[in-house]
Amino acid sequence: MVEIQKDVFWKAALITLVVFSLGVILGYSLESHRISEIQKEFKQVEIEWADAKLQNNFYYQLLTPQYCDAAMEANLEFADKVYEQGLILERYEKANKLNDEMFYEKQKYSLLKLEFWMNSIILKEKCNAKYNNVVYFYKNEPSITEKAAQDTQSKILTELKDKHAEKVMLIPLPFDMNIAAIDIITKTYAIEEAPTIFINEKIKLEDIQSLKEIEEKLEL
Amino acid sequence: MQILTGVYLFFILATLYIYSFFLLILFKNRKDLFSYDLLDKDFPSVTLLIPAYNEEDNIAGTIESVLACKYPRDKLEVIVIDDGSKDKTSEIAKRYPVKLLQKSNSGKADSLNQGINLAKGEFIGVVDADSYPEKNALLKVMSCFKDPEVAAVTSAVRVKNPNSFLGGLQAVEYTIIAWARKLLEYVNSVYVTPGPLSVYRSEVLRKLEGFDNKVLTEDIELAWRILKNKHYKIKMCLAARIFTIAPVKFKAWWRQRLRWDIGGLQTLNKHKNVFFRHNYGMVGLFVAPFFASTVFLSLLGFSIFIYLLSKRVLNAFFFTSNSLATDSLSMQIKSIYLSPSIFTFFGVLLFITYFVYLIIGLKMMDRTNVKIDKKLNIPLYLLFYLPLYPLVFIHSIYLILTNKIIKW
Repeated sequence: MVEIQKDVFWKAALITLVVFSLGVILGYSLESHRISEIQKEFKQVEIEWADAKLQNNFYYQLLTPQYCDAAMEANLEFADKVYEQGLILERYEKANKLNDEMFYEKQKYSLLKLEFWMNSIILKEKCNAKYNNVVYFYKNEPSITEKAAQDTQSKILTELKDKHAEKVMLIPLPFDMNIAAIDIITKTYAIEEAPTIFINEKIKLEDIQSLKEIEEKLEL
Repeated sequence: MQILTGVYLFFILATLYIYSFFLLILFKNRKDLFSYDLLDKDFPSVTLLIPAYNEEDNIAGTIESVLACKYPRDKLEVIVIDDGSKDKTSEIAKRYPVKLLQKSNSGKADSLNQGINLAKGEFIGVVDADSYPEKNALLKVMSCFKDPEVAAVTSAVRVKNPNSFLGGLQAVEYTIIAWARKLLEYVNSVYVTPGPLSVYRSEVLRKLEGFDNKVLTEDIELAWRILKNKHYKIKMCLAARIFTIAPVKFKAWWRQRLRWDIGGLQTLNKHKNVFFRHNYGMVGLFVAPFFASTVFLSLLGFSIFIYLLSKRVLNAFFFTSNSLATDSLSMQIKSIYLSPSIFTFFGVLLFITYFVYLIIGLKMMDRTNVKIDKKLNIPLYLLFYLPLYPLVFIHSIYLILTNKIIKW
């Protein structure tokens, strides 16, 4: 009977398992680290949001217009913070392959953004503010054509935000993440397509909109 | 975890296993790769068969190099088999002290079988008509037959014309193939006895009834039949070099690879009943599953690549057309974010492992004194040459499925 080096088969399997397991463990640790980073940031944002809400409540109670500017400024700052955090979260979500928890973090952020939008509506009404609530509805898991459309629309909205920083509250909201509150809104306003832009709770713009088309609908 | 993530992880796991397997064999046997115990007496008789079809440009060189081999003349018989050539192949062969068999065209396998019927040697070797063994190649190959279990011995096939663009890339490829094949010897899984120079025990060749003329790669098919017998070994003599002319035109290269791939698949199909069956020796336990899994993995890897690439291309296309439609097309330098995924790390690891494997292989094969322009050819080989494999393979599957297998 021919002799062969049979041990290489199981030794190679052992080495593979060790290297593969180490890789998976390292990958999982990296992803967990990212999640804890996001969670830490989220806690900070939550505190800032609670602070901003309290400030707003305080201003509402006083009902004095001179505090509106401060409230709006706080709101705007918070909007920028949440928007930036959202971008980091999107990036991390794409890179995380093993750990699904980023999805839940995204849900939490979406709820926070939703709450922020609601607050923004009240603030606008109370202070008779001139800023525009621009809510951008997109899909978390789009098709190829939807993704390209969303990428284009995101780029245009970023340009809009850069151009009219003080006048635009940009609130991106994913509407396919199984969040009941967002589902109610999308049903109420019949938002079915991605991307859809919803301006000042009145104007619904489906499909990709150019910068000029959006500007025409804003109160600038 | 998504299905695609599972597919990626499976691909990584399987590829890691293959790399670990080869590197482990290398590590265990690195001092033994080039060793051989040269024959100095009791030379057995050898018949070398040179099948030729329209080889007037090469046949003289091949015969001359075969006759120049260091081996006792009275123990060496050379038979040129002219497979119905339409050129001066026979005319040229007649000028040399070799036997000439002229016959109507019936293909390489059948030509070799007719040669086997005429051969008188205890051992029968095959030398392709466009290949040139080194002077001591045959002697080194024959020294491997000291072990009575060895049924066949192959040699290190090197490229004779590495100075052309395609020749240089094939020089890298042939070097790595020869080296990997030597590593497979340690698990008795040399799955091909290539045409440029392989020698068989006559009794084994006759017992197995020669080559199968229905399969395009008769050398792969025969090796599988040899290995199906648990008492036979195939050895690879890395120190024995034979130089072969590699195709220099892309069309010829593609056609040659189609032949190899189709032949490989035909062999796999012919021996499909051997998978994981102990009775069929290493063919059942390793060669067939290994062959099938490399086919599967290359197709899987290629499909993943095409999927990701097409997604990107389509996205870029739609994004550009959307941007044009909304008058928002502008050149932007996107911020660079470093958020690598687990696949990025594994991808880098696999690439580095293969690169190390390639460099070690080429470095060790330097001992064979075949000079390769590594600086130019290695990057081209990795980036452009290797990705062609699955394309040829897909073409060969298409030809098989559409029943368009051309005669060669």
